[in-house]
Amino acid sequence: MLRNELRQILEKGLHDVEADWTVPAAIINDPEMHDAERERVFGRSWVFLAHESEIPERGDYVVRYISEDQFIVCRDEDGEVRGHLNSCRHRGMQVCRAEMGNASHFRCPYHGWTYNNKGSLVGVPAGREAYGNKLDKSLWQLKPVPKLDTYKGLIFGCLDPDAQSLDDYLGDMKFYLDIVLDRSDAGLQVVGAPQRWVVDANWKLGADNFIGDAYHTMMTHRSMVELGLAPPDPKFALYGEHVHTEHGHGLGIIGPPPGIPLPEFLGMPENIVEQLQRRLSPEQVEVFRPVAFIHGTVFPNLSIGNFLMSKDHVSPPTSFLTLRLWHPLGPDKMEIMSFFLVEKEAPDWYKEESYQAYVRTFGISGAFEQDDAENWRSITRVLGAQYAKKMELNYQMGRGVYEPDPDWPGPGKAFPMDYAEANQRNFMEYWMQLMVTDPAPHNKNGKVSDAAAAEALTRAEA
Amino acid sequence: MTTATEITDATVREVTEWLFTEAELLDAGKYREWLDLVAEDLSYVVPLRVTREREADTDIVEGMTLMDDDWDSMEMRVLRLETEYAWAEDPPSRSRHFVTNVRVAAGETADEVAVKSNLLLYRTRGDVATFDILSGERHDVLRRVAGGYRLAKRVVVLDQTTIMTHNLALIM
Ligand code: FES
Ligand SMILES: [Fe+2]
Repeated sequence: MLRNELRQILEKGLHDVEADWTVPAAIINDPEMHDAERERVFGRSWVFLAHESEIPERGDYVVRYISEDQFIVCRDEDGEVRGHLNSCRHRGMQVCRAEMGNASHFRCPYHGWTYNNKGSLVGVPAGREAYGNKLDKSLWQLKPVPKLDTYKGLIFGCLDPDAQSLDDYLGDMKFYLDIVLDRSDAGLQVVGAPQRWVVDANWKLGADNFIGDAYHTMMTHRSMVELGLAPPDPKFALYGEHVHTEHGHGLGIIGPPPGIPLPEFLGMPENIVEQLQRRLSPEQVEVFRPVAFIHGTVFPNLSIGNFLMSKDHVSPPTSFLTLRLWHPLGPDKMEIMSFFLVEKEAPDWYKEESYQAYVRTFGISGAFEQDDAENWRSITRVLGAQYAKKMELNYQMGRGVYEPDPDWPGPGKAFPMDYAEANQRNFMEYWMQLMVTDPAPHNKNGKVSDAAAAEALTRAEA
Repeated sequence: MTTATEITDATVREVTEWLFTEAELLDAGKYREWLDLVAEDLSYVVPLRVTREREADTDIVEGMTLMDDDWDSMEMRVLRLETEYAWAEDPPSRSRHFVTNVRVAAGETADEVAVKSNLLLYRTRGDVATFDILSGERHDVLRRVAGGYRLAKRVVVLDQTTIMTHNLALIM
């Protein structure tokens, strides 16, 4: 049940985001909002768990989270990707306490129940003596992730068994994801393991920043602009596109400002450029050709950064690809998991340069990343207070300035510049729709149907 | 042919002094002066660790790190701090490097020593009454030059897998 006060804030928020292009500050750092969000947003959305390249061999596993629930994401003995709740069916003990590894079986350290990597309970110590023949092992397998699916190497899980398919959920966003995920024959690999760190900030700030905020670059990252690592033209994001799709997803795609000679296709190595021109559709190639920066968010908490950047102030730029997961740990705390990926078939020199450019700019120590976390931390602290919480936040950029771009070759709603906040509004609107839509039985198939969303909106407007 | 340095009490004293002076510079935010203590072929790495079972060979991840710097990228960090827009450290953190358990051994060449030390790095920002702590072991290679030592190599093995501070903006 959503407390009345919260519902009022959210319904007014839904109205305002449409009518006034504002968002209530109260959604950022409030314990009750966070509790509701766990169930209503993270309990129903498809959440990124891992990339298939992290578990290439049979038995490989990593432990990952959806909200507080932890899952063993593994490749079973038949090569199939699975996700099991990391909790023994006897008393709930963690059956896997490492972050990653390779195992055919998980043995619970408490009393020794043993599960294979398909999740089946295969061993119960002193089974016959203790349980007679009464324990039907087939009823006590590890709980699976209710829904598990992969898209182009990305493994997602969903806690709602009635949720729409991953394919439908990603919808039009797939056109853009493919440009990043599907541009080479052998695909991507996560290099090493994700960096993990904790920031005293609400996860939505990371998602909001990556989905559309090209505007912050000139101020937040001004130190890097001065060192020549970010575009010196303060209007660089004019030469870009701002696109969003249903279910809250969105991205920005920025090319070089006129007169700046940057390579096509993010300056990727020749063999990958050859492959992508063959693999992607003509529309996707057209979208990708001029690109120097792609930033986006797959609702709720998976972001993508594919940037052309230098590893220091004296080297030429190289592109790199990072995925980041904004894993909520509370209203005012998140864990960032930052993945570096590279095309498996890229030449070694490119892999090395790309890795260095990533670590030094957008990893935990990166010269760009550092300043972002600083902002989100500060915002979260300020918006946790009672007076600040009553503010509306301004999401009005582009109002009266831009119109949808009729010539854009890709799907979704596109605007012909990346100084815009349409993606951010779309994200927040979908988030608020999920928040006000009660879970089943009221909404039996568990997704925010267009009807339910429309109904919520009408309620808010009334 | 080179022979390794003989480690005398004087060497240990010099090296320890060097580490303490370095810590003082870092805590005072004197990064430009710190850079003068660094060799031009610097390698500065903070490995990424993960939680693995005891039977695993190592918990240090191959191919990915938390920090991987050379002279140029270190200079970039210092230049960045010298702009007026390095918000992550402006206002600066208050930091304290506690350097202990200094162990000095012969280096691979006559002019180098291999130094291990333990590091506890305390960090606090703004008026928030909380702090972050990083603990780890440093593996340094110091090279003897006219008038002292230069840091040629540093590996900082931190004692956490999920890092409990919002960025690694400080030099460890
Ligand atoms: S809790 Fe796992 S065997 Fe008892
Ligand atoms: Fe940023």
